[in-house]
Amino acid sequence: MAPDSGSRTPGLTSFLRSLSSEPDETCIEQFIALLRRRQIRHSRPCAVATAYLLRRVVAQAKAEPGKLVEAARLLQRVQEVGRRLVAAQPRELVVGNVVRRVLGLIREEQDNERGEGDISGLSSEVGIESGLQTPQIPSLGKGDPLSSLNGTTRATADMQALHTSQSSAGVDTRRTTQPASRPSLQPSHTTFAGAPPVTSMFSLLSHPTMSSPRSSPAPASPSGTATPHPTGSNDIRQEVIEGIGEIIDELEQSDEQIASYALEHIHANEVILTYSSSTTVQRFLLKAASKRKFTVIHAESYPNNQRKVHALVTGNTNSDHSDALTTEAFHKTLTSAGITVILIPDSAIFALMSRVNKVILSTHAILSNGALVATSGTKLVAKAAKAHHVPVVVLSGTYKLSPKYPYDPDMYIEYGDVSKVFPYQDGELVESVQVENPILEFVGPECVDMYVTNLGGHAPSYLYRIVRDQYRDEDVDI
Amino acid sequence: MAPKPPKSSSSKGKSQGDEKEDVLQAVVIADTFETKFAPFTLERPRCLLPLANAPIVEYTLDFLAQSGVQEIFFSAGSHTDQVEKYIDESKWRLNTSPFKKFTFLKSAATSVGDVMRDLDQKGLVNGDFLAVSGDVISNFTIAEALAKHKARRQKDKNAIMTMLLREIGPRQRSRQRSIIPTFVMDPTKDRCLHYEESRPGQGSGLAFDPNLLSQAELEIRQDLVDCRIDICTPEMLSLWSDNFDNQSPRKDFLHGVLKDYELNGKTIHTHIVSDYFASRVGDLGAYATLSREITSRWTFPACPDVDAKYKLSRQGVYREDGVTLARSCRVKPCSIIGRGASIGDRSVVQDSVIGRHCQIGRNVHIRHAYIWDHAVVEDDVKILRAIIGDEAVIGKGCSIGEGALISFGVRLDQGRHIASGCRITKARSSNNGSTSSDKALVGEAGKGYCYVEEEDDEIKPVGLVYQREEFAASNSSFSSTDSQDSEVHSGHGGLRSESFATTGSDDDGTDRFHHEAVHSLFERMKIGTHQDDVRVELMGLRFAQNATEDQVRRSVVNALMKYISGQGEAENFEISVVVKQSIARYGNLIQRDQSQEATTAGVSFLLEAQKDLLHRKGGEQILLHLAKELYDQDIFDEEVFSDWWTDERSESTEELRGIKEFSRQFLDWLAAADEEGESASETEDEEVDEED
Repeated sequence: MAPDSGSRTPGLTSFLRSLSSEPDETCIEQFIALLRRRQIRHSRPCAVATAYLLRRVVAQAKAEPGKLVEAARLLQRVQEVGRRLVAAQPRELVVGNVVRRVLGLIREEQDNERGEGDISGLSSEVGIESGLQTPQIPSLGKGDPLSSLNGTTRATADMQALHTSQSSAGVDTRRTTQPASRPSLQPSHTTFAGAPPVTSMFSLLSHPTMSSPRSSPAPASPSGTATPHPTGSNDIRQEVIEGIGEIIDELEQSDEQIASYALEHIHANEVILTYSSSTTVQRFLLKAASKRKFTVIHAESYPNNQRKVHALVTGNTNSDHSDALTTEAFHKTLTSAGITVILIPDSAIFALMSRVNKVILSTHAILSNGALVATSGTKLVAKAAKAHHVPVVVLSGTYKLSPKYPYDPDMYIEYGDVSKVFPYQDGELVESVQVENPILEFVGPECVDMYVTNLGGHAPSYLYRIVRDQYRDEDVDI
Repeated sequence: MAPKPPKSSSSKGKSQGDEKEDVLQAVVIADTFETKFAPFTLERPRCLLPLANAPIVEYTLDFLAQSGVQEIFFSAGSHTDQVEKYIDESKWRLNTSPFKKFTFLKSAATSVGDVMRDLDQKGLVNGDFLAVSGDVISNFTIAEALAKHKARRQKDKNAIMTMLLREIGPRQRSRQRSIIPTFVMDPTKDRCLHYEESRPGQGSGLAFDPNLLSQAELEIRQDLVDCRIDICTPEMLSLWSDNFDNQSPRKDFLHGVLKDYELNGKTIHTHIVSDYFASRVGDLGAYATLSREITSRWTFPACPDVDAKYKLSRQGVYREDGVTLARSCRVKPCSIIGRGASIGDRSVVQDSVIGRHCQIGRNVHIRHAYIWDHAVVEDDVKILRAIIGDEAVIGKGCSIGEGALISFGVRLDQGRHIASGCRITKARSSNNGSTSSDKALVGEAGKGYCYVEEEDDEIKPVGLVYQREEFAASNSSFSSTDSQDSEVHSGHGGLRSESFATTGSDDDGTDRFHHEAVHSLFERMKIGTHQDDVRVELMGLRFAQNATEDQVRRSVVNALMKYISGQGEAENFEISVVVKQSIARYGNLIQRDQSQEATTAGVSFLLEAQKDLLHRKGGEQILLHLAKELYDQDIFDEEVFSDWWTDERSESTEELRGIKEFSRQFLDWLAAADEEGESASETEDEEVDEED
C-alpha cells in the first residue's frame, strides 16, 4: 500500500515489518512512540499492532532457567506491557481491549493448568465427572464470584447468545469456509480442561465455562481423563500465541463478518445516511448493494475526514493514503455497484434527515454502557436521527468494545490539529481567536438503536453481556 | 512512559541487512552560535531550555523520529557536557531508541559552517541527509519532500539541497521576526535562484543577477518561514568546505552558492509546506509565539498531552498530575501547569506556562509568562510577558515588567519592581567577572545582577514583546544578524558580505581570488610555512588572477585575522602573545612596498582588519594588540595610526566605532609617547598587560 516514499515514514507498515527483526523491548518502545506521535491511529491499526506486538512479547517471554514459562509470569509481563501501552495513548481504547483479550487467554490457560492440578490432586476417590459437574472446584469458583451468584440468569443468557450465534452461523462465511483454522465447536465444549484456547467470540459466547463450569451446556466428557492433557508439560506460550493468532484473524475478518449481516438491515429502496469514512460501513453497504438497490447519503465530516470521504465516494483513493484505509484499499465504489450516492455537507444533515430511513455509523470505540466514542459530528447525526425517529445502527467489531464505563467522558475526547479548521496562513485571527478541533466525540447510548458487531445485531441494553463475556473481570483495570 | 532503568548507551550492533533503502541520516546543529537567548544560555544551552515544559531538543528529535531518521549526528556546540548528559540519560540513547546511531560531533566549531566542514572531513555522511537546527518544531512528514528530492537528484546530480519552507499569511505572527528572508524562485522547477535577508524596518532592496529576469517565471517571496530543515547531499558538504569562510547556512552559504551558480552549477531547491506546521525557536519572540501555538494545538501531535501525562481540560488548560490549585484561583485558556505545581488563592494564570514543582502564591497575576521548573513566586506578584528561570524566587509584592528575563536561581527580595526588558542573571558572564548582586535591583536579600550584553551600545530590546523589532538582534561575534545585514543593504560591503557582494562592483574573478588567497594563506599559516614562501605563493596567485593591491591586502588581512583568532581560541593563549607571534612571523606579508603610499596602504590595512574583526570573537582585543604589535615591530609608523583613527571610514557604523573605541588606549598612549619622546616602550608593555 505504501509507496516508496512512504515506506520510510514510520507507521503501521514499518512497525509490523520491524517486529520480526527487533527485540521486543524495542518494539514496545517503538509502538509507544508511534502511538504518542499518532502515527498509528484509528482503532483497527492500533488493534492489529497491539495484537502483533503482544504475540511477539509472549513469544519472547523469558522463563527461569531450566523451567517453562509460567502463566503467572506471562500474565505479569503482558500486564506490564499493557499498562505502558495504555498509558501511552489512553484514548485508543482498543489497545486496552486487545491487551485484556490476551490477558484473558493467559488466565484461561492458567485456569486450565490449575484445573489439571486439581484433577490430579483429586485422583481416584472423587470422580472427575463430579468435579466438573458440580461447582466445587475452588479456584474456579473464586475466580468469578458474581457468576456463581446469578448462575441461572447467566445460563439463560448464555443460551440466548448461543442461539443468536448459531442462527447467524448460516450467513457467516468465515466459519463455514475455514472451519479447520480454529477449534470446532464440539471439542471446545467437551475438553474444557485442556482444549486449545477458546478465543473466537463465537466460542466464548457458547462457552462461558471459562469461569463457571456449571453452566457448560455439554456434559463434561471423560476424554479429559482418558488422555492426560499436555498443557502441564507443554509450554503455555504456544497456546497463547495461537490464541493471539485467532484474535488477529478476528480483527482481519470482522469487517467481512459485519458485512454479512448487511442484508438483514438494509432493504430495497431505502435511503441510508452515513457519516465520515469507514471501511466497515463501506463494506457493509457494498455487500447490501450486491443484492439490493438503495440510496446512500454520505455526509463529508468536515474538517478532519472530508478528504477521505471524497476519496471514498469517488474511488480516488491514491490522493490520500491514510491509516483508516489500510489493508483493504477500495477497489469498488458504491456508485460502481449501482448505488445512488449523494454527498452532502454536514450542515445539510438535519435537513435531509426526514427523508432518511436508516442511519448507519461507524465508531472509534464503544464503552460498556453502549456509549460511543466516535468521530466528531457523530452526535449531531445521531441527535438529528433521534429528532426524526430514524433508527441509528452502529457497526463495530467486538474488538472496539471496551469494558470501561464513561465516568468522565471528556477524557476520551482528543483535540486535533487546529489548522484543519483554520488555515495557519490566514493568520490574523490566530492570535485573537481560540480555535478547537475535537477529533472524537462522546455519544450517549440513548442515541443508538442497534449495534451490529461481528456476532450479529444487539440492542444497547445487551452490550454489557458481550463485554462480560469478552473480558475477564480481573482485567477491566489492566 | 514507564520508567525504565537506563541501559548501556552503546547502540546495538544489529544490522538492518534486509533494509533495501539506505538509512536516513540527520545532522542536528543544536547551537546556532547566537546569543538570542541570553542570559539563559549562559548557563544552559538553548536546546535544553524548556518550551511548554519540555526541552526544545525533544521536539526536534521527535520530529526526526517521526520522519523515520535512523542515524543522528548531534553537534552540541556550547555546553556540550550538559547536552550530552541530557541526551545520554534520555530515551534517545536507550536500546529502544528509534535512532540506531546517535553520534555526538565533537569539534571546536564556532559556526554552522565549521560543523559542516568538520562533517565533511570526517566523512560520516554517506547519502542524502537532513540538516536541521536543534530548535525545530514540526509535524511535517518528510517523505514527500524526500521523494521529490531524490527524483530531482536522479535527473540532475547538481541539485544539492532542498529547503523546507513554510508558507504563512500576511502579517502573521511568525513574520515578526528579526530577519525577513527573501526568496527568488523559479516556481516551475521549485528552484531557488536568489536569497537575501533583511531586517524589518529596513528597505529591502534586492540585488540579483539581471540574467535571472530572463526566466519565464519568477517568484519573489517573503511570505515564507525558513524552518531550517534541509535535505542535503554529501556534495553540499564539500561545497561548504570549498567556501571555507562561510559561517551561516543561509546568509553566507545559500546566498553564496546561488550567486556562484555560473561557477559551480549547483542548484538548490525548495519545498513549500502549506498544510503542516513547521517552525523553529529562533528567538525569544518565536519562543512566545510557539508556546502559544503549542498550547492551541497548531503543532499537533507535538502538544503537551502527547505523553498523556497532561490532561487537557475543556477550557484549553493542560494540567499534569499532582497539580494543586486553590479553589479560588483561576486558570484561563492556553495555559500549561506542570507536575507538582501549586497555585494559591485568588491567583490568575492566563496564557502562561507554569513549570514543574513551581509554587505560585496567593493573589498572583501571571499573564503571557513562562515560569520554568521549581520557581517560587510569592504572594501578590504581577508578572506580564516574562520568563522566570528555574529555581528563581520572586519575592512578595514584586512586579515584573514586560519582556523581563529572570534567569536561573535569581532571587528577588520583597516588593521589587523590575523594569520592562530587564535581564537578571546570577551567572558569571564572560565579560563581567563579578557576580556580586546588584542590591539596588534585587533588594537586600536578593541574588543576581543585571545582565548586559557584550559591546552593547544599543538600547536593548525586549525579547518577548513583538512591537520592537530589534529584540532578537544578537551581538555575538558569530551572529550574522547585525552588522553584516546593515552592510549588505547600505551598500558598502564589509569583508564577508563583500565576498558575495550584490553591488556588482566585484566580478567573479576577484571573488575567486579572494577565496583562494584567503584559503591558501590560512592553510600555510596553520602549518607554519615561512613567510617568504607564503609571500611567493601569494604573488603567484595575484598575478595569475590579476588581482589588485587592495584585494591582496584584503586577503592577507582576512587570513591573518582568521589565523590569529583561531590560534587564540584553540590554544587559549593570551591574545597579546598570539598577535605578537603572528605579526613577528608574518609581518612581512603586510608591508610589501616601501613607497610613499605606505601610509594610505597602512590605513587601508587597519580598516580592513577592523571590519574583519567585527565578526570575530574578542575582535576588539585583537585589534588593540594588532595595532600595538604593528607599531612595536616597526611595520607601520604613528602616522598610519593617527590617520586611521581620524579616518571617517573607520567609524561609519556603530559596530565599527565600538570596536575602534577599544583601541583608544593605544592611541592615547601613542599620542602621549609622541610628546614625551621615544622612551616609553616598557611602560607601554605594562599598560597593555594590565588591560588583559
